[in-house]
Amino acid sequence: MTHLTETTILTKPKGPRMIDFSAPRHRKKFGYLLLAPAVILMALIIVYPILLSVDISFQDVRIARVGASDKPWTLDNYRWLFASHEFWRACWVTAKMVVFVGGTALVIGLATALLVNQKFKGRALARLFVALPWAVPEVVATVIWAWMLDSSFGVVNWALLRLGIISEAIQFSQNSTAAFFAVCVVMIWKGYPLMTIMLLAGLQSIPEEQYQAAKVDGASVWQRFWYVTVPNLAPVMGVTLIMTTLWVFRDFAIIHVLTGGGPLGATTTLSIMTFEQSFSYFRMGQGAAVGVVTMLICAFISRALVSRFASKSH
Amino acid sequence: MQRSKLGQIGIYTAVIVTVVLLLFPIYWMTITALSPANQLRSFPPVFFPEEPQWGVFSELLATQPFALWLKNTILIAVATMILALSVSILAAYALSRYRLRGGATIGMFILTSKMLPATLLVIPFFAIFKQMGLVGSLWSVVITQSTLIVPFCTWMLKGYFDTIPEELEHAALVDGCSPFATIFRIVLPVAAPGLAATALYAFVISWSDFLFARTFLQTSESQWTLNMGIAALKGEYITDWNVIMAASLMASIPILLVFLVLERFLVGGLASGAEK
Repeated sequence: MTHLTETTILTKPKGPRMIDFSAPRHRKKFGYLLLAPAVILMALIIVYPILLSVDISFQDVRIARVGASDKPWTLDNYRWLFASHEFWRACWVTAKMVVFVGGTALVIGLATALLVNQKFKGRALARLFVALPWAVPEVVATVIWAWMLDSSFGVVNWALLRLGIISEAIQFSQNSTAAFFAVCVVMIWKGYPLMTIMLLAGLQSIPEEQYQAAKVDGASVWQRFWYVTVPNLAPVMGVTLIMTTLWVFRDFAIIHVLTGGGPLGATTTLSIMTFEQSFSYFRMGQGAAVGVVTMLICAFISRALVSRFASKSH
Repeated sequence: MQRSKLGQIGIYTAVIVTVVLLLFPIYWMTITALSPANQLRSFPPVFFPEEPQWGVFSELLATQPFALWLKNTILIAVATMILALSVSILAAYALSRYRLRGGATIGMFILTSKMLPATLLVIPFFAIFKQMGLVGSLWSVVITQSTLIVPFCTWMLKGYFDTIPEELEHAALVDGCSPFATIFRIVLPVAAPGLAATALYAFVISWSDFLFARTFLQTSESQWTLNMGIAALKGEYITDWNVIMAASLMASIPILLVFLVLERFLVGGLASGAEK
């Protein structure tokens, strides 16, 4: 460090025409200069495509082009959307999936977080292990489960038969209900580690004194959980639930690879429907309309996230 | 707090049962990859195969363009990492050190990128890339992945820069070091662990992508990524599960290794999208 400072004192040229960014009055300019590449990039790859997709959703196009259409905007895509049975079914499927995946992942996440928050030898390793599915790529997770849920030789069917829960193998690819739950299982397996990790961090930030005080007051283990742990964790739970919800809304890989949205649309969420319309049927105008509506729903959900954090940090 | 012996045993039992249940799919992937193909079509399944069949990996390399998929995946991940980091380092530093109005905006971008349905985003990008002749090029995937990775890296790096005391930089500036040189000579070396963690995160996100590659590279098989290859193997009429699981295993190993390094950074990283 001293070496550095000595040489820079001696060698630094004072260019009179350059803006001296170390001068206090230019400090902010330097900040904006640093920020510029990121802002420009974001404008190009996030803001512009969003505007373009809204534009496409108002056009009657099959394969979208940039600035090719001089036809006036039309509401046809949205009219089709709200009148179509598929759209409302996709809404219903998405809603069911969000509730089921979110709820189950929260329960598993909380249980595992509480477990690895206990004091025992090898705790660090246990923490590593319970979070491991987070690191498995979604496509890989999906093919593993596709194999485990295989109708002829899958280990899940074998186990269920063996335990006497079912009398004949479940056809996960043909039965609508089974396919829906198969998708949910993969999502839960991929999604719960986020809950575990975040809730564990939340648990560790609860002051030990609160538990001690509750104990002195004669609270049972259950009461301590209910009146100390749960209220302290509530904000983290809320945030993680919203993050998981947005993830289920966005997800493409799991459903596309496992069921392709089928059978008969039983696993077609809004996200899958957007893709299907645009890239299977090449009706990009209609696809964009589905996507724009999905985006509005997600924006609405995210608002809850923003306001929660705004109230928490300030 | 002293726990009874019985309580200890209870905890260990619970931990072992939980870990076994939750990690069973990973175990099953490994076992299936190393099982002989005919054994996989037998009921009941074999849980502990006697002789691991290592030949499956050479079979995979011989029958599938696995090496090509791997190469494409690595190229995309490295390019995305470099692009995202070079932009995010500067932006994150600016957000951490200067009270700029842009701070809230970047936070908004992160949230936007999380809530933006990716299947919607690929529609305008398809039109743009079609016009630019980028459909079927690895760059199309690098660019679209950046929509997720740049905001993410910016926010994560800002978090690290916030933890570095500003005094060092003040000293350097007083000594006449230019603000730009200060970032590269003083701040980045100190932030090296954070930089590494962020880079690895970008790598993980890029490696796991399926949608962008599926949309823009599907028709040009020479540009396929690992995830596309694995998905295609699964879709084939005759499914050789041991080969698919071998491919899956090879595709997961880099990420699992990264995860071991990253685990202690996980909370900060995963929470980054939530924290504004």
